[in-house]
Amino acid sequence: MTASGDRLDVLHVDMDCFFAAVEVLDDPSLERRPVIVGGTGPRAVVASCSYEARATGVRSAMPMGEARRRCPSAVVLPGRHDRYGEVSRGLHEVFLEFTPVIEPISLDEAFLDVSGSHRLFGPSEEIARRVRSRVREVLRLECSVGVGRSKLIAKLASREAKPRPSAGGPEPGPGIVVVLPEEELAFLHPRPVGDLWGVGPKTGERLLRYGVRTVGEMAALDKAALERLLGRALGGQLHDLSWGRDERPVQAATVPKSIGHEETFPSDRHDQAELLPEVVRLADSVGSRLRATGLTGRTVNLKLRFGDFSTITRAHSLPGPLFSSLEIARLAAELLSGVDVGPGVRLLGVSVSSLEPLATAGGRQLSLLDLDRAEEAPRRADGPLRAEVEAAVDAIRARYGAHAVGPATVVEAGRGLRVKELGDQQWG
Amino acid sequence: MRFRADRDTLLETLVTASRASASRSALSGAAPGLQITLRSNVLEAVGSDPDLVIEARCEVAGEQDGTVLVPTRLVTDIVRSFESGAVSVAGGEEEARFSAGRAEFVVRVAAGAEITRLSSPETSGIDLPAVTFADGLRQVVRAALADDSRAPQLTAVQMQATEKGLRLVATDSYRLAFRDFEGMSALEEGSQVLVPAKALGEVQRLVSQAKDDQDEMIGFRHSDLDAVFDLDGVRITTRLVRGQFPDVDRLVPSSYAYRLRVSREDFASALRRVRLLVRDSKDITTPVRLSFREGGVELQVLTPESGRAVEALEGEFSGEDIMIAFNPGYLLDGVEALRSDLLVIEVNDPGKPALLRGEGEDEYRYLLMPVKVS
Repeated sequence: MTASGDRLDVLHVDMDCFFAAVEVLDDPSLERRPVIVGGTGPRAVVASCSYEARATGVRSAMPMGEARRRCPSAVVLPGRHDRYGEVSRGLHEVFLEFTPVIEPISLDEAFLDVSGSHRLFGPSEEIARRVRSRVREVLRLECSVGVGRSKLIAKLASREAKPRPSAGGPEPGPGIVVVLPEEELAFLHPRPVGDLWGVGPKTGERLLRYGVRTVGEMAALDKAALERLLGRALGGQLHDLSWGRDERPVQAATVPKSIGHEETFPSDRHDQAELLPEVVRLADSVGSRLRATGLTGRTVNLKLRFGDFSTITRAHSLPGPLFSSLEIARLAAELLSGVDVGPGVRLLGVSVSSLEPLATAGGRQLSLLDLDRAEEAPRRADGPLRAEVEAAVDAIRARYGAHAVGPATVVEAGRGLRVKELGDQQWG
Repeated sequence: MRFRADRDTLLETLVTASRASASRSALSGAAPGLQITLRSNVLEAVGSDPDLVIEARCEVAGEQDGTVLVPTRLVTDIVRSFESGAVSVAGGEEEARFSAGRAEFVVRVAAGAEITRLSSPETSGIDLPAVTFADGLRQVVRAALADDSRAPQLTAVQMQATEKGLRLVATDSYRLAFRDFEGMSALEEGSQVLVPAKALGEVQRLVSQAKDDQDEMIGFRHSDLDAVFDLDGVRITTRLVRGQFPDVDRLVPSSYAYRLRVSREDFASALRRVRLLVRDSKDITTPVRLSFREGGVELQVLTPESGRAVEALEGEFSGEDIMIAFNPGYLLDGVEALRSDLLVIEVNDPGKPALLRGEGEDEYRYLLMPVKVS
């Protein structure tokens, strides 16, 4: 399904100040105050900030130190990725009401191809209005929508739809900007070249030397000249974009190939018994992440790097979908038991591959004959209760953080619960 | 061997026998063909694979008795290609000739070869009413396991003598079908046999193809090893499956928390519609989610790459709202097995088996395990 021709079939939906808005949503006392979400370390940067913070000049990706200087009154929050992920899944659900062809760009931004949705929901502008009102209704958050013939135009249009920060509070934007095919060049050409995909600081500098600052100036260049200047691929691509030609289809989300964690040990480990708790620890985190991303897998992979940097991998595939941390741990431990760790293990990795979204993975067909097993041994680790335990663990972690709860195997004397976490240093 | 036969009659006989002719003969070592034997005016075609033998008979105009072993696929294709009317067949030591009108085929035969036959049980048997029994088979055979890679006993249907009569049970471990025939005694009291579902499927097919003759009977007898079904003009002999059939009575819940009553036809139509979005692959099937709620049920199939389908049905339901997901194929199998106009679905929770039955159709029950979804 491709949006093509002159039809305005591409929507770009972008949440307004997403992380900061979620923080305000969860803590209404933050309303109308400058809120900055970002890292706390020495090299931390701003991940997201409210319009009140923006009014003082704070921007995304700005070093945190500078942001604090510009806006000393800001409430600075460390960010809760799990929570943002949860809201993002809700957002995806809203999108699904309108079209199955959704290309997520990040947690708070996605392209929608609505070429098949007009009969149900009307023209694209009407769909954009409905998306905004459903996002407001379901998530109680605001978003801006750009509508155009192509991803390029839709994305630039959503930016125009945004509210503008000002000293007296944000001025509401139009919320929806539709760029008609005949308006495209007038819309595109006055913009700085940096607005186009593929134009980074380096390319921008090179273009500047030729006196090219705007997309219009770029469009005025001969295609061959642009190709000589920037190389054939990039030059050709930018030439097309500068004339509003963007054939890239909206592509429904692609599932990652695998989800995994690795651990490098301070000193090599020579003993299965020393490695086993690490397997459980890594599997626990892999399982949590798998469930948090709404995926299931069918293959468990174990990776071992020895002291001499030689690396081996072992894999085991199951017929059905896999989402339990315990099952991952059990299979990884089984793989580990078949490996001679005598030479000393420097790095251990556990990952799950053959991934598929849980919603489509078909879930797991339960077996009548397992009922016996469940009734006889409700406390068995792989019994039906286990899934409930893991769901509870996930819920606790979503609320209190990854370290709030974990498998006993992972508790170390004197160090407490050490849960392997993704993005401990998320924003520096 | 030489005879003339009606093309349609001959074809039907050959096709029936060929259902047992091993396609994987190279593996099993069974003869790759049909044995055709003429005794005066009766032609018998026998197909055989290691566990199943089908002998089919028809009347022909015999000229010279004899027997010949012909390649199954080729000969059925040849006879099928003929126009309706008379077919002449002559079989010799090395070749068999099939002709009709001006067309003539000469086919090499396997000289001196014999096909395997199963020992026919010597026990005396009993007669089962064909139409009733076949209807029960239609309802039960579907729940048996299709291939025997995991558990051979689940590829069988358990025929069991109960206090009230005969019971057929089949399960592939995901669903479980029961059919009771009150007052029908096919086995010694308290005994049970495991009959391959494949053989019973053939019995069912042959009865349902025949005229709907309510008086027709099926002769049934068995030994410890084999069972025989005698139908009009066809004998099916099958090896019994050894092994322990699971104790399924214990799996049936004694009570259910919620009950839905809905038109069976409407439910089946809706399910067939929403199933259009189901993606079926080797390991994984998209589930259909049933949301039970006051006043009815909603069926939903969701496949992000293709879209979603929703259909709400009015029905009688009381209790808390509850969502339970099922494999749509298994669910439809159960709904289609029933005869009653009113479908009853009884459930406990999303991890426990659900029961499908027909209102006023107490002799059949279909128990189905849900699919666990997030």
